[in-house]
Amino acid sequence: MCGIAGIYAYQYAANAVDRNELRCIRDHMAVRGPDGFGEWYSQDGRVGFGHRRLTIIDLSERGAQPMVSADGKLVVTFNGEIYNYRQLRTSLEAKGYRFRTQTDTEVLLHLYAEKGEAMVHDLRGMFAFGLWDAEKNALLLARDPYGIKPLYYADDGWTLRFASQVKALLAGEKVSRDPEPAGWVGFCLFGSVPEPFTTYQEIRALPAGSTLWVDRVGAHQTKQYFSIANTYCQAQAGSSPVYEEHQQLGAREALLDSVRHHLVADVPVGAFLSSGIDSGALVGLMRDAGQQEIQTVTVAFEEFRGSSEDEAPIAAEVASRYGTRHTTRVVTEQEFRNDLPKIIEAMDQPTIDGLNTWFVSKAARELGLKVAISGLGGDELFGGYPSFREVPLCVRALAIPGRIPGLGDLTRLLISRGLSHFVNPKAAGLLKYGGSYASAYFLRRGLFMPWELQAVMNADTARLGLRRLNPIRHIEALLEPKPTNSFCRVAVLESSLYMRNQLLRDTDWASMAHSLEVRVPLVDSILLSQFARITTKHGSQSKRPLADSPRIPLPPKVIERPKTGFTTPIQSWLQRDNRTQEWRRVPALAARKCAWARRWAFQVSTATAAA
Amino acid sequence: MCVGETVGFPGVHGDGSSVVRPSGLRVLALVTEAFGGRGGIAQYNRDFLSALARCDRVGDVIVLPRFSARSVRTLAPGIRQLRPVESKIGYSLNALWTAITQQPIDIVFCGHLNMAQLAAGICKVLNVPLWLQVHGVEVFWRKLTALERRSVESATIVTSVSRHTRRRLLHCVGIDPSRVKVLSNTVDLQYRPGPKPNYLLDRHAASGKKVLMTVSRLSNFDRYKGHDRVIRILRRLLEQHPETIYLIVGDGENRPRLEKLAVEYQVAKSVQFAGLVTPEELPDYFRLADVFVMPSTCEGFGIVFLEAMATGIRVIGGNKDGSRDPLCDGELGTLVDPESDEQLASAILAALDDPARTDDRSGRFKPEAFREYVNALHHFFSVQSCHSVATQMVLQREETAA
Repeated sequence: MCGIAGIYAYQYAANAVDRNELRCIRDHMAVRGPDGFGEWYSQDGRVGFGHRRLTIIDLSERGAQPMVSADGKLVVTFNGEIYNYRQLRTSLEAKGYRFRTQTDTEVLLHLYAEKGEAMVHDLRGMFAFGLWDAEKNALLLARDPYGIKPLYYADDGWTLRFASQVKALLAGEKVSRDPEPAGWVGFCLFGSVPEPFTTYQEIRALPAGSTLWVDRVGAHQTKQYFSIANTYCQAQAGSSPVYEEHQQLGAREALLDSVRHHLVADVPVGAFLSSGIDSGALVGLMRDAGQQEIQTVTVAFEEFRGSSEDEAPIAAEVASRYGTRHTTRVVTEQEFRNDLPKIIEAMDQPTIDGLNTWFVSKAARELGLKVAISGLGGDELFGGYPSFREVPLCVRALAIPGRIPGLGDLTRLLISRGLSHFVNPKAAGLLKYGGSYASAYFLRRGLFMPWELQAVMNADTARLGLRRLNPIRHIEALLEPKPTNSFCRVAVLESSLYMRNQLLRDTDWASMAHSLEVRVPLVDSILLSQFARITTKHGSQSKRPLADSPRIPLPPKVIERPKTGFTTPIQSWLQRDNRTQEWRRVPALAARKCAWARRWAFQVSTATAAA
Repeated sequence: MCVGETVGFPGVHGDGSSVVRPSGLRVLALVTEAFGGRGGIAQYNRDFLSALARCDRVGDVIVLPRFSARSVRTLAPGIRQLRPVESKIGYSLNALWTAITQQPIDIVFCGHLNMAQLAAGICKVLNVPLWLQVHGVEVFWRKLTALERRSVESATIVTSVSRHTRRRLLHCVGIDPSRVKVLSNTVDLQYRPGPKPNYLLDRHAASGKKVLMTVSRLSNFDRYKGHDRVIRILRRLLEQHPETIYLIVGDGENRPRLEKLAVEYQVAKSVQFAGLVTPEELPDYFRLADVFVMPSTCEGFGIVFLEAMATGIRVIGGNKDGSRDPLCDGELGTLVDPESDEQLASAILAALDDPARTDDRSGRFKPEAFREYVNALHHFFSVQSCHSVATQMVLQREETAA
């Protein structure tokens, strides 16, 4: 897990790579990779790669990056983990490839030499890399199927720069800081910036599951090689009847297989533990996969001690059942106040979440961990969110009135003009947006509604951003090809929007700020294709298969506990903090019944726009 | 290397030439002016169309200009320029008529944003891809209409004269940035270093003096070029270099105002207006100068910077606009904040202190590099547009013909 950077001066008039700029970009990410750094430049000075290293596999110097192939024709700078690198290595060795290191990085070089760009289909893991092919005179950028690892690029028409973080690209001081209205509007609508946009016009995210070629004419169109919607559709098309017991066995084996793959490392792998099924079951499976020593960590708050919101006692019970070395880390209001400026600083793009991951990652790093397993992705895979129930319900109820042209807009207008003090803005949009999966999902997850944007941002920015983002079309595009089953549709939307742009991004910046690699066994393309087969058949809306998968069962308390949603006292701490009170200036936000997330979003946007 | 190979695009032969109809692709170019025209845009179009005509997959290029100052007798092989039509409606009808009667047209090139709607309309009628060129001022000065925006968005590829223009364009239209490329201006080979020509030393009584020069039109529209700013600080420069002449080349309705300004700042004796200069004399004017300065704020690219660098003299430009491109972010000339008198004055003083000439510094902007890029883009363009039904048809047509 590391930080990567690169500059390619592709256009004929562009200046050669500025080494100082590349070093500034790279070293802005020092905390992503504190164990080492490296750089590489092509002979003509038109291409440069940088790398910051967090050593996890092959701790020796030979694993340093950027890594050049023996013949000097291929160079790679890579962030992530390839969990099946040993299998890939064996098959490449059988074909005659000679390896110099024990790293997964070297596998990338040989696999590319063998298969070219199609190599991405063989990789199981989380990755973002830049690969220079000297023979083709072209740069290949690629990102893992789910978009666990970030990859941003800025193309000014002469030079293309890429890095693991937006702020790193800016640190080189040659990338334009012109704002991107679509990015800001996206943040206000969703609470996170939807890819491929960022809050800067020139900087784009390489979409999850995509590759991008850059040659002497510049960037080509990005090419998608993996789609969650497509995986569900394929499973639907090819699903064969499965007996109950086989299905159960299949589920357990698939989960265990994913966890086993995610334990590959030359350093100890710990785990985040909450009171939920996801993290508990993963710890159980880690044991089943043969890991004897497991360090687990839970975050607790003094305010919640003794209340039903306190996760610590149940987490401790799970830990003792699986015999882990368990630590409960108590976070206080004072610590939060001290960390807040650092949190804003580390936040790569504006987001309304990530605070919990910040503290649990901090705790894990204090315990000396470099790698931790997280239960992220369980809700998307097993239908853990209320949206799995509510969105299809809403679509069924409103499909017919939603089709009457103008009715939605009319009711919305009537309500927002006359009844805005009594009716929730989302309720006002119900008829307008309730009728299709994309729009009902938007309504469910939306932070602000499009017609509310003018209260929190400049009217021109709002108009321009809405036009460019086109939120409903943006969501619909992710749902193509459309699975027929309602469970799969919601799963696609949750995984391609909320999980990708919010959960995974937040996990990345908040954990990397503490030089901690977080691994997510429930976010895995192989696991998905196995479960897609099962869920398309039965539309499972239960975490039972996950809960039942460890050989030593989870405590019944964990399984029977109603889903509460993760609560923290952070909200009330922020309400009290006199540094986060700008929202009071905006009447719409100062209103008594305004949701806290909206105020926080405004707070974050003012803080990050100022930075 | 063909880009088609790089991307391994399905349906396109690795060797680009194998899918071309024997006669090659036919391009209809709608331009304000090209052959026989004057000014930067005309030159750009000439460079571009000549390069395009030499592309291996292009058969012939039909050029339809709106204006043409001089009649043109000989054109490069593969290029045919039709008679100009100045009236807007006449031009549009003529364009449509040409498009229909000169079938088969495979690509429409549009050389100016003002014609983008017309070009996009023709592309829609013919069902062929659009290649749009943008220069600068047309993007900066006004808000695009919704129709113009959609026309730009419908283009398969947009080439922009500088990074700055590209960024401004991407700010107002929602087009995939990978479809917007930068294709810089080129500089003519007649601009090269040389001694100060005697006839100009005499004409401007410049013997033994240092010459500071700006070249541009002087229309009211071109006020952003920054003559005012140079005149404003000239007093300060003269204190250290009393023998300096500020030579303003070019003419237009803004000239009387600048003359008055020079009087107002008590530097009238040191400011000379050369008026309009013939293209033949212009290279000599650059050789006469020691320092070329144009602290512009709205430059699309600034071809004069290239001409100055080609003659090896010191160059100073603004850092807020397309001027950054010819000066290569300061590698080939000095960039200053055009709004800062301080920065401008100290940059000019430094240049006057040491006006040593260099070799031709415009090497990267020679026509060969430009031609190569157009050729590479052309492959890219064909590959890209394979997504569209239009080019599928073109390719099928090519294959049947082959």
